[in-house]
Amino acid sequence: MIPRNRALPSEEKIISVRNLKFVYEGGVEALRGINLDIRSGEFLAIVGGNGSGKTTLAKNFNGLLRPTGGTVRVADKPASELTVAQLSRIIGYAFQNPDHQLFCASVEEEVRFGPVNLGYPEDEVKAKVEHAIEAMDIHSVRALPPHSLRLSERRRVSIASVIAMDPRVIILDEPTTGLDAGETKALMAKVSQLNREGRTVVLITHDMRLVAEHASRVVVMSDGRIVLDSDPRGAFADLDLLRNCSLVPPPVMLLAHSLAKYGVPRDIISPQELVMRIVLGKGDVR
Amino acid sequence: MSDRSGKVQMKALSMRDVRFKYARSEEWALDGVTLDIEKGEFVSILGSNSSGKSTLCMLTNGLAPHALQGTLEGSVEVFGRQTLGLSVAELATKVGIVFQEPDSQLFCMSVEEEVAFGPENLAVPREEIRARVDWALALVGMRGYNDRSPFSLSGGQKQRVAIAAALSMRPEMLVLDEPAYALDPLGRMELYSVLRDLRQDYGMTIVLAERDSEEAVAFSDRILLMKHGRIVDSGMPRDFAQEPDRLRAVGVVPTQLSEISEMLNSRIKNGKFAFLRVEEAAKGIIENCFSKKGGGRA
Amino acid sequence: MTGFVDLFTESNSALHRMDPRVKIASVIFLSLLALIISELGYLLVLAGVMVLLLLIGRASFSKTMFAFSYVSRVMLLIVVLWPIFDPSGTPVLLEFGPIKITGPGILAGLATAVRVFCLAAVWYVLMFTTSQRDLVRALVKLGLRFDYGLSLAISLRFLPTFGATVESIKDAQRARGLELDRGGVAKRARNYLAVLVPTTITALKTADTLALALQSRAYGARADRTYLRELSMRAIDYVALVVVVAAFALPFAAKYLLSMPL
Repeated sequence: MIPRNRALPSEEKIISVRNLKFVYEGGVEALRGINLDIRSGEFLAIVGGNGSGKTTLAKNFNGLLRPTGGTVRVADKPASELTVAQLSRIIGYAFQNPDHQLFCASVEEEVRFGPVNLGYPEDEVKAKVEHAIEAMDIHSVRALPPHSLRLSERRRVSIASVIAMDPRVIILDEPTTGLDAGETKALMAKVSQLNREGRTVVLITHDMRLVAEHASRVVVMSDGRIVLDSDPRGAFADLDLLRNCSLVPPPVMLLAHSLAKYGVPRDIISPQELVMRIVLGKGDVR
Repeated sequence: MSDRSGKVQMKALSMRDVRFKYARSEEWALDGVTLDIEKGEFVSILGSNSSGKSTLCMLTNGLAPHALQGTLEGSVEVFGRQTLGLSVAELATKVGIVFQEPDSQLFCMSVEEEVAFGPENLAVPREEIRARVDWALALVGMRGYNDRSPFSLSGGQKQRVAIAAALSMRPEMLVLDEPAYALDPLGRMELYSVLRDLRQDYGMTIVLAERDSEEAVAFSDRILLMKHGRIVDSGMPRDFAQEPDRLRAVGVVPTQLSEISEMLNSRIKNGKFAFLRVEEAAKGIIENCFSKKGGGRA
Repeated sequence: MTGFVDLFTESNSALHRMDPRVKIASVIFLSLLALIISELGYLLVLAGVMVLLLLIGRASFSKTMFAFSYVSRVMLLIVVLWPIFDPSGTPVLLEFGPIKITGPGILAGLATAVRVFCLAAVWYVLMFTTSQRDLVRALVKLGLRFDYGLSLAISLRFLPTFGATVESIKDAQRARGLELDRGGVAKRARNYLAVLVPTTITALKTADTLALALQSRAYGARADRTYLRELSMRAIDYVALVVVVAAFALPFAAKYLLSMPL
């Protein structure tokens, strides 16, 4: 079975979005009325193809973009009343390309940058930096210049520099791009750990395998709208939906659907589960 | 492999005990590579990051050692000629290369100029350039995109233009270094369809370096596994579908179908599944697990 | 970001179809004309010609208004300030302290403003009727070394890309609490380092791969190089060129050889 030993989300809505609309300069309607409540402690995946609006939505959470219609509430305050800097205390955003964030002479300085900007006193800064370095396992490279590191390390440094700000929510934009199998596993383990510690994780991805392995909830976006909001099984059950959203269903999903008339459920999300269902026949294996 | 006359056919790519160290590095990026790739083969090279697969790609068209400074030992031969003795420009007519970053390899202001750039440099006559541009764009499914600027294209489209830009020089081999790196699933699919068609319709020799096994297993004739700068394993896609541990040994995630095959084999008597495609997996499972006389528990 | 440098609008006007080399030459001659004529009356005629060119080129009204929003502010400034600093001539219309507003002063201010308009307009016509590709192609055809032409083309091609990269970097740093629009000069300079360093590094990395890509496409393989896109002069291009040269030569001769007041 898939381990899901993460903390259960609380009832508190850490991010709440009502009828959110966003139109880019030039007229492109990126968001066409989004309604979403993200509960504190969730591990939410936002999936969708290029142009579905997933990055636009995430940037509306932390104020990098401001809605053209509708409202965003963060920690029960209207986001419109908070600056990006103020919102960055609550919501951390790790960009897809770590090279867009790294600029300091050493990893340690890089990780300090965020908390220093937020005005924390020095002893708190030190504590947060240590915690972040520990969490992302970059202690061995802390004195090195970030740009001299390989991609997987740079990515961890960039995420550490966001964690050091001690946000309640961490948004990760395609964090496994360019990572090989071992690096992906290691990174996602650390991300899961962050979630277990109580941080809300919002994972923007198009890798359905990651969604199956880690997310407790998935929101599928297409053309500026949410077309599905359910646990991963809900997404995996709907082959046509994924295809219409320019997502490629993973082979296990296609296979489960091909075997549907033999009693194999359509909402299988991992190879292990499928095999269990085939071998054991009936019976609840979830 | 010999042709009818009994002569040994020239290989597309031949490496013998190749070692390569980048100028400012202390480690050997390639540490003894010997391989042969036949004309018309589609070979995937799988390995984790820093396994040396990028460096291997750079050696096929002379970028290493001519453009990327470093020390080269051993011999690299492309269609019978040593790469050391040929300039990158000369090798460009034999080997086309596509890199992983879409933006960094498209530098012209329009798709048409990009694809024409190579033949222009080779002083190909204008009418022929026009013909090659149209041919290459049609091959990659970008017909009609001539006047578009690269900035306006999606990642998948950019990579296809990059392939067209390499094809217009009429190389006999196409080398791709993680071309789907920055692409979304749809872009990946489009890209690999183009490669499959190139191989099937034009007999193009294709060498593909990848981290992910799914497409490699689906499309290649042969797979080479790299680790620490060496080729440590090789085989047909079905071999790896049967024994996914071999992929795990080099840090590559096996395909989902091979994981399923593996798990079924351990639970079903005489199970010898090695699924490469969903259709054959469905058929195999239905026949063996769901039919009246079929398997069931081990 | 692209809008600033790439003003080109697709169209089939006579100006769009004109050979870009003739357009470049025309712009140079007409600019020189705007600089040598100083009489308001004649400058207004030239401005009229500019408007005619805008019409022939089928300029988009909204885009042109936007492009000229900055220029018109400059023009207004000139019209207002010039007379204050140019007390020459008679009649004197207003006087307070050392400042004398004279009739000729006002006219000179107007003339300079119209001259600014003419210069802006003629370059704008070039930019919106000629694609960047054609401009670079024309320059190379006129004698610019291909290497330089390619450098220019690559720079233009990457402007929007780097513009987007800079925006992304700014967003990434703002998400780390960086406030780019606050603080004194020194603080802001240091803050911009957080944008400048990643931009530079990204640019350098791109340049590295670009160099490899260029070589892989046989750049520099031969001294002779063919071009897919050829430029060829039509009869009407020659006619236009003659007209433009004449339009320049006649006033030039009138002013400097015949000492007519122009």
